[in-house]
Amino acid sequence: MLSRFPVVGGVAIVALALSGRRLWQLGQLVTSGAPAPGRKGRWGARLTREVREVVGQQRLLRWRLPGLAHAFTFWGFLLLGLTVIEACGDLFSASFALPWIGHAAIVGFLEDLFACAVLVSLVVFAAIRLRQNPRVLERRSRFFGSHNGVAWLVLGMIAAVIVTLLLYRAAQTNTGHFPYGWWAFASHGLGRALAGLGAGTNRTLETVFVDLNLIVIFAFLVLVVYSKHLHIFFAPINIAFARTPRALGALDKTPVMDLEELTEESRFGAGRIEDLTWKQRLDLLACTECGRCQSQCPAWATEKPLSPKLLVMALRDELLASTRPAGDHAGGSEGRALVGAVVEAAAVWSCTTCGACVEQCPVDIEHVDAIVDLRRHEVLMASRFPPEAGTMLRSLENRGDPWGMGSQHRLDWTSGLGFEVPVVEGRIPDEVEYLLWVGCAGAFDDRARATTQSLARLLHLAGVSFAVLGPRESCTGDPARRLGNEFLFQEQAKANIAVLKEVGVRKLVTSCPHCANTIGAEYPELGLEVEVLHHSELLAQLLATGRLDAGRLPASVTYHDPCYLGRHRRVFDAPRSVIDGVEGVELVEMERRREQSFCCGAGGARMWLEESSGTRINRARADEALGTGAAVVATACPYCAVMLDDAVRERGRSEEVEVLDLARLLERSGASGRGVGAG
Amino acid sequence: MQIAVCVKQIPDPGDPPRFDAQTYRLDRSGAIILDDSDAYSVEMALRLAEVAGGEVTAVSVAPDGELSGLRTALAMGVQRAVLVSDPALAGLDALGTAKVLAAVARRVGAELVLAATESTDGYTGTVPVQLAELLAWPALSFARHVELEDGLLRVQRQTEAGYDELRCPPPAVVTVTAGVVEVRYPTMKGILSARSKPVDQLSLADLDLEAAEVGVLGAGQEVVGIEDAPVRAAGTMVTDDGTGHVAVLEALRSWKVI
Ligand SMILES: Cc1cc2nc3c(=O)[nH]c(=O)nc-3n(C[C@H](O)[C@H](O)[C@H](O)COP(=O)(O)OP(=O)(O)OC[C@H]3O[C@@H](n4cnc5c(N)ncnc54)[C@H](O)[C@@H]3O)c2cc1C
Ligand code: SF4
Ligand code: SF4
Repeated sequence: MLSRFPVVGGVAIVALALSGRRLWQLGQLVTSGAPAPGRKGRWGARLTREVREVVGQQRLLRWRLPGLAHAFTFWGFLLLGLTVIEACGDLFSASFALPWIGHAAIVGFLEDLFACAVLVSLVVFAAIRLRQNPRVLERRSRFFGSHNGVAWLVLGMIAAVIVTLLLYRAAQTNTGHFPYGWWAFASHGLGRALAGLGAGTNRTLETVFVDLNLIVIFAFLVLVVYSKHLHIFFAPINIAFARTPRALGALDKTPVMDLEELTEESRFGAGRIEDLTWKQRLDLLACTECGRCQSQCPAWATEKPLSPKLLVMALRDELLASTRPAGDHAGGSEGRALVGAVVEAAAVWSCTTCGACVEQCPVDIEHVDAIVDLRRHEVLMASRFPPEAGTMLRSLENRGDPWGMGSQHRLDWTSGLGFEVPVVEGRIPDEVEYLLWVGCAGAFDDRARATTQSLARLLHLAGVSFAVLGPRESCTGDPARRLGNEFLFQEQAKANIAVLKEVGVRKLVTSCPHCANTIGAEYPELGLEVEVLHHSELLAQLLATGRLDAGRLPASVTYHDPCYLGRHRRVFDAPRSVIDGVEGVELVEMERRREQSFCCGAGGARMWLEESSGTRINRARADEALGTGAAVVATACPYCAVMLDDAVRERGRSEEVEVLDLARLLERSGASGRGVGAG
Repeated sequence: MQIAVCVKQIPDPGDPPRFDAQTYRLDRSGAIILDDSDAYSVEMALRLAEVAGGEVTAVSVAPDGELSGLRTALAMGVQRAVLVSDPALAGLDALGTAKVLAAVARRVGAELVLAATESTDGYTGTVPVQLAELLAWPALSFARHVELEDGLLRVQRQTEAGYDELRCPPPAVVTVTAGVVEVRYPTMKGILSARSKPVDQLSLADLDLEAAEVGVLGAGQEVVGIEDAPVRAAGTMVTDDGTGHVAVLEALRSWKVI
C-alpha cells in the first residue's frame, strides 16, 4: 500500500506548494494596497454579516434557482471536507474512520445527501449556463465576457470530485472498509451495483478512486487559485470587510480636500493600480464573474460600453499583471493609466451610480465607489472628462447651481402660492418645524418647481410649519461629487454646512433624493448631523396621522423607484403608501421595482452629460412604465420626473400618460388637511 | 515668447448689477470671477505657449487687490500674474484701462498680448484696440486660432463668411472670439500650485503713471446717470385663422421693414 504515497503525496505536495505560493502572493498584493479607512471595528455587525451572507448564502438566495444550487454546492463542500479527511486516512489505513463521529449514521447520511445535492446543483448550473449561453445571447447573457471555458472546467472538476468520492465509497461498502451503515444511501446503492465485480476488483476500485479523488481535489485547488474560482477564498474575507450595512448611500471615502493640508504632490482618486486600497484589491479578487451586476446595469442594458463585471475583471487583470506589490514601484516603471489603457473612458463616464450592481453582487463588491474613484482621478488629476460637464461644473462653481441660474432666482417658485413661505433670516424660529430644502431642480426646473409648489401647498394644508433658505441655499454638491470633482463638492458642502449650522437646522425635508442622500448621509462625514426626511416619508406620516387626508383620483398608477431614494436610501414603502392612500388609485407595479428598480438615466451627474451611444436609458425605463398600461407614472425625484417625462413625450404618449411626482399626484386627488382653516 | 493675457475680474454676470447711487460705481462686494470671455484667451495663450514655448502672464486691472479671477487663470496654468490696483483708479474708463495695461505689457516685456474681443460686463470692445494703439502694435481681432510659425504669428480671423488668414510678425495684440476653444478645467495640482505662483501687485507709481492720466481725473468719459432698461412690452398675439399672413404683412409694413 505504501506505493500510493509517492504519487498522491507528490501531487499533494506540489499542489499545496503551488497554491500556497499563489495565495501568499495574492495576499501580498492585497495587503500592499493603499489604506482603506473605516474597515476595522464593528466586528459584531461583520460577524453577523459573515454568518448571513456566507454561511446563510443570503444574497445568493435572492435569485432562487441559481441561489439554491450554489448554496447546496457551498454547504456540500463544507461538509465534504470530512470526506477529504476520510480519504487521506484511507491512505494510511483502509479501515480508517473519523474519531468520535466516524461511524455515526447521520454523518454518513449527510455526506451522501450533499454529494447528491452537489451533483444535482451541477446539472442546474450547467442548464443555466446553456440557457444563458453568451455565444447565442451575446450581450444579453450575464456570462458575456466571463471566462466561460474555465467555468465549465470548474463544473467538470467538481463533478469529478463527487463522482470519484461516490465510487470509492461504493467500493468500500463491498470491501468492508466503509464506516457507515445503510443511512449512507447513495454509497450503498451504488455499492450494490458494483458488488458483482467481486471483492478483489472492489478493493482495486477503492484504492484507485480514493487516490483519484485526492488527486482531483489537489488539482482543483491549483485551478481555484489560478482562476475566478478564487472567490472560494477571497469572497468570505471580502464580505467580512465590506461596508456596513451596504456600499450604497454615501460614497465610501471622503478624502481630505482642505487646501491647507494638501501639497502639489497629493494624489486623488484611482489613476493607476497602485492607487487602489487593499479593500478595492480584495474586491477584484473576490469577483466570481457571475454577471449578476451586468444583468442589472442600465448602462450595459442600453448598449453602453460599461459593464460593472467587465470593469472589475479588467482591473483584476491589471492587478494580477502588476505582480510586484505597490511601493516597489518607487523609481521603477509606473503602472498603466486605469482609465484609457485598462478601462475605456466612455465606460467610466457611462455609470449612473444607480447602485443596481452593488445591490446584487453576492460577494459585496463596491463598484460605485471604485468608479467614482476612477472619475476622481480623471477630474482632479488629469482634468479629463466629457466637455459638456465643464459647463455644469463652472455653473455650479460660479453660480451655486448646475444650471447656472443664480441664487436670486431661488424663490421664484413661491410666487402665486397664495401664502407666504417664510425665508430664514437669522436662526430658524422655534415654531418652525421643518427646513424645506428646495434643491436646485426644485427651484429652477419648471416641472420640479411644480412639485415644490405642490409640496408647499400640502404642508400648508396639513398645518406643518416650514421655512426655506431662499438665496442662501446652494447646490449640495452631489453632481460634482458623482462626477468625481470632490474638491468642488466639499467646497459646496462646507458652505452649506456653515449656513445650516448658522440657522440651527433641526429637521430638514426635501423632495430631492439626491439632496437627501448628500445632506443626510454624506454631510455627517464633514461635520453636520441633521435629521433628513424625503417628502415621501413626511407625506406618508402626515397621511398616517390624519393631518392630511388624501382625496380621490380614479387612475391606474405605476411607481418608479428613484435609485437614490430606494436603493441608496432604502425608502421603498413610504411613496407607495402615499400613492395607495389616494382613493381610486390602482397601483400597477413594473417588473423591475424596489431593490431591482431600473435607473432613469440621470444619476451620477449623467443628467448633464450627453447620452450618444446605445438606446437612451430613460426611454428603456419609460417603455417599461408604459408597458404597465398605467395612466400615471408616479415618481419621487425631480430628475426621474424630467427623464421619464421627456421619454414619454418622445414616445408620443404624453397625451394619455402623465408623469407626476407623488406630491403632485396627492394634491391632484384633492387632498385636504387639518391645518389651514380647519378647526 | 513672453505672452501677456488680459483678464477682467468681474462680479458674477448672472446677478443683477448694483450701482452706488451717487458715484454710479459698480458694487463689487459679491463674488468676483474671471470673466468667461477671458477664459478663452487664457486657454489660447496656454496652448500657444505649450507648442511654441514661452511664458504666460495674466494681467488684470481691478480694485481692492482682487485676486480671485487671477487665481483661476493661475490654476489653469499661467505662470504668473500681475494685478494693478490703486485707489486713484476709481472711475477708470476704457482708455485709462488700456493705458494701464500698456504700461504693464511693457513692464513684463510682452511680445504678444491676448485679450477677449469684448468683456461680458462692460462690452465696449475698445480696450484691446486702444491698447494696441498705445503700444503701437498691430491689432488682430476676432481670432479663432493662433499659432506661431517660423517666428511669424498666424491668426485665423473669424468673419461672417468663414475666416481670414492673417500673418504678422510679433509684437502684436490679438483678440480672441469667445467660444472658439474648449477651456480647460483646472486640476487640483493647478489649484494647489496657483497658491505659490508669483503675483505682482502694482500701484500706479510702480508703473510710472500719473493719476491725472488715468482714473477719474484722466477719464475722458463719465457716467452721468443709470436707468433701468425699459421692460420689454408684451408682443401682439395673432391667432392664425387662415389670414395670419395678412397680419404679418401689416406688421412688417407698419415697421417699415417692407
Ligand atoms: C479700478 C476700476 C475702477 C472702475 N471704475 C469704473 C467706473 O467708475 N465707472 C465705469 O463705468 N466703469 C468703471 N470701471 C470699468 C472700466 O471702465 C472698464 O474696465 C473698462 O472700461 C473696460 O471696458 P469694457 O469692459 O467694455 O472692456 P472691453 O473693451 O469690452 O474688454 C475687452 C477685453 O479687454 C480686456 N480688459 C478690459 N478691461 C480690463 C481690465 N480691467 N483688466 C484687464 N483686462 C481688461 C479683457 O481682456 C477684456 O475681455 C472700472 C474698472 C476698474 C478696474
Ligand atoms: S452603478 Fe448602475 S450604471 Fe453604474 S455600473 Fe452599477 S449598475 Fe451600472
Ligand atoms: S462583481 Fe459581483 S455580481 Fe458582478 S460578476 Fe463579480 S461577483 Fe458577480
